[in-house]
Amino acid sequence: MISFVVAIPIVTVFSSFFETTSNYSYILKDTFLYDYIFNSILLLAGVLILTFLIGVGCAYIVSFYKFPAVNFFKWSLILSFAVPAYIYAYSLTAFFENYGTAFSILKGVFGEKDYNSLIPKFDGMIGAIISISFSLFGYVYVLTRASFHYQSQNLIDLGKNLGFSKKKSFFKIILPSARPAIVAGLSLVAMETLSDFGSVSFFGVSTLTTGIYNAWTSFDDLALANRLSFYLLIFILGLFILENLSRKKAQYHTPVKENIKSKPLVLLTGYKSFLAFSFCFFIFLISFLFPVLQMLYWTIIFPKHFMDLNIIKLLFNTILLVVLSSLVLIFLAFVSNYGSRVSKSKLLEILTTFSISGYAIPGVILAVAFISFISWFDNNIVSLLEIKTIKPIFIGSILGLVFVYFIRFYSLACNGIKSGYLKINYSIDESSYLLGYSKLKTFTNIHLPYLKNSVLLIGILISIEIIKELPITLIMRPFNFETFATTAYIYASQDLLEAAAAPSLFLIAIASFFILVTSRYILKD
Amino acid sequence: MGQNFFEIEDVTFKASNINKVNNVTLKIKNEGDIICLLGPSGIGKTTILRTIAGLEKVNSGSISLKNKIISSKNIHVEPENRNISLSFQDNCLFPHYSVLQNIEFGASRNKKSKKLLNSREIIKFLHLDHIVDKFPHQISSGEAQRVSLARSLLSKPDLLLLDEPLSNVDQSFKEEIQVKLKKILTELKITTIIVTHDSYEAFYLGTKCGIILDGQLKQYDDPYNVYHFPNSVEVVNFLNRGILIPAKVTGENSLENEDLGTIKGNFIKHYPKGSNVKLLLQPEDLEHDDKSNLKLEVVDRKFRGTNFIYTLKTLSNLLIPVFVHSHHIHQHEVDEKFGIKRPIHIDHIVCF
Repeated sequence: MISFVVAIPIVTVFSSFFETTSNYSYILKDTFLYDYIFNSILLLAGVLILTFLIGVGCAYIVSFYKFPAVNFFKWSLILSFAVPAYIYAYSLTAFFENYGTAFSILKGVFGEKDYNSLIPKFDGMIGAIISISFSLFGYVYVLTRASFHYQSQNLIDLGKNLGFSKKKSFFKIILPSARPAIVAGLSLVAMETLSDFGSVSFFGVSTLTTGIYNAWTSFDDLALANRLSFYLLIFILGLFILENLSRKKAQYHTPVKENIKSKPLVLLTGYKSFLAFSFCFFIFLISFLFPVLQMLYWTIIFPKHFMDLNIIKLLFNTILLVVLSSLVLIFLAFVSNYGSRVSKSKLLEILTTFSISGYAIPGVILAVAFISFISWFDNNIVSLLEIKTIKPIFIGSILGLVFVYFIRFYSLACNGIKSGYLKINYSIDESSYLLGYSKLKTFTNIHLPYLKNSVLLIGILISIEIIKELPITLIMRPFNFETFATTAYIYASQDLLEAAAAPSLFLIAIASFFILVTSRYILKD
Repeated sequence: MGQNFFEIEDVTFKASNINKVNNVTLKIKNEGDIICLLGPSGIGKTTILRTIAGLEKVNSGSISLKNKIISSKNIHVEPENRNISLSFQDNCLFPHYSVLQNIEFGASRNKKSKKLLNSREIIKFLHLDHIVDKFPHQISSGEAQRVSLARSLLSKPDLLLLDEPLSNVDQSFKEEIQVKLKKILTELKITTIIVTHDSYEAFYLGTKCGIILDGQLKQYDDPYNVYHFPNSVEVVNFLNRGILIPAKVTGENSLENEDLGTIKGNFIKHYPKGSNVKLLLQPEDLEHDDKSNLKLEVVDRKFRGTNFIYTLKTLSNLLIPVFVHSHHIHQHEVDEKFGIKRPIHIDHIVCF
């Protein structure tokens, strides 16, 4: 059933080839399509290079060296997860634009002058690359750091025995053995980059994702939107396969945690210590403090926007979506994992694997494909049953929104519960049966208490994702139903960046709180 | 179906659709009997326990407990409804419960059972007092094994299955626990099937022993009989407590070996005069005598605490083990000559 639900967008996208599209498709083919593809590739390449350098650099420094505040940087660097790329884009523009924050600072310090020509402008493609990279480098950082952390000291000792210099050890031993983790991190970054809608649309960069949105909203051509989605899906499918392959290798490379010989950290002194501290502080400053301070600054100097904001309603809406979606996701992830575990059915396992593929599909595609499917279902099936339309139940409703969130984030819930279950040896279940406990009692007495931390962690991770999620919420939400994310986007798209500051700040604050609560687990696994 | 407490009737045991042990028939007549199953690794001993416990299904034959079929082609009583407890070889403690909570986990199953036993007694007898508040990851594998054993005992099962229960337990505790385990199982009349690779453990604990070799239950008998009267060359080789030497039957009570000369004793199975046979020679069959003119060369000496096992080489290069009490007045070094008492008399002669 879960697999069927997840299959909806995929089947819908593929079926688009049997539908007729508007004239816009021919215009697009001759004009922007190649731009979309070229921009998507350029964006992807830029983001991958930058996230690799930042993520691996930070992970290496905090994993192998001791310098002031290293323990602080270990967890504070993941706070960048709390800042969605579109909010980073607003901050970047607000700071560097003509008469922006940078201008005000220079004017305050050096007096009235024309600083606009001196301040660099980060807009267009460069702005998008920077925004997405600083928002997403955390994936590479977290996975690479875990890999470095569990890397055997014996490997490094072996390098020393072979007479390798530190530089040679890094390139010949440390980096290659962390390669699967780095590739896995970069694959996640790649998928998120191709899914990104908020920041690229803000900077006016035309990618396949914005093309899909435009085909649907501006030209009302769902079939074309689906066809564009197909191209993007093929792209992402390739990345998904790459990521899966690298994960298999990652398992192979991961040493047994119990046998880890803890690595003695190299104590840095003098200018080396200063450089390490400065690098980490710079990344923390740019990735987290900068957008937070920018949004805070605007919230303070434009208090009217803050006062106008219906915080209680936005908070209620955001929490409603978070709670509903988390409950549905966790409950169904439990049902599918438990069913798969008890039945030991290979078919069920294959279906479970298939059902997590929604993660790889961008939110825009999911939302558009879901609407297409409901429209098709309504026109072809529901009308036959002589029932009135079902569109209002699924389109522009909380139910539809939760449905699409479910497809998008099911992999997070399913994999989270699955990895928790993998830690419970199957003979533990058997021991319980043999002590007279039924399958249900085993679930309530053994599985639930053991997995409660995993469930809490998954719930929080889902919450962070839903709080930050933009395109699905934007497309699927009921009329007049806003969250912090959509409010920020709507203000920003109307060029009211200062009004977008307060909802953005709330969004970052809530996400940061959740990240801090779970940072210990995120860094561990 | 007879009036046996537990019965396996012509069952082929399978794991992952591969036949492990074929056509097994095994009966436990009395409640409280202890059966030990011996066999090399991977032969299917654990599969047998898992099948009896209901974790694997059977496709042929039947398994019955207290005269009720619990497994057959058409019947499969679920594991939780069998009142059979299995203590796994690997650590299967519930990681989120303390040792005490683990031990008491199954205690509620048979509240009405007449087999009175409380957790405090079990904890004391298995030396677990000092770890009751700890969690499984904080204890050693030997301690975990004892906790698992305690948990199984406390669930007061009709049939207790133990898979290598003491394999990780320290040698210093092992014998004491064996003694106490046997006492408690016997006193409480808990029928038990133990899988072990330690033949001494099996001989001590078992009312009967089963030897599983080459996908078959080769021998199922009293421990004394399994040791002294093995029914096949395979069992002799598996137990590795003697060697087979060539001999010729010379009379109703005698054989002749070209190196050892005449050997007298009582045949377990009679062979016609003149037959060429393989004689089982166990370490305790030959006696040491310094004055004897039958001298063999010492090629190895193993000190086993209570005794020495000398390995002697005959003229035809046979290697014969000989048992000597460790308090024997003197020792023999490798390459020295070692006297064998004549005439050689073996209480029971086993030939193949």
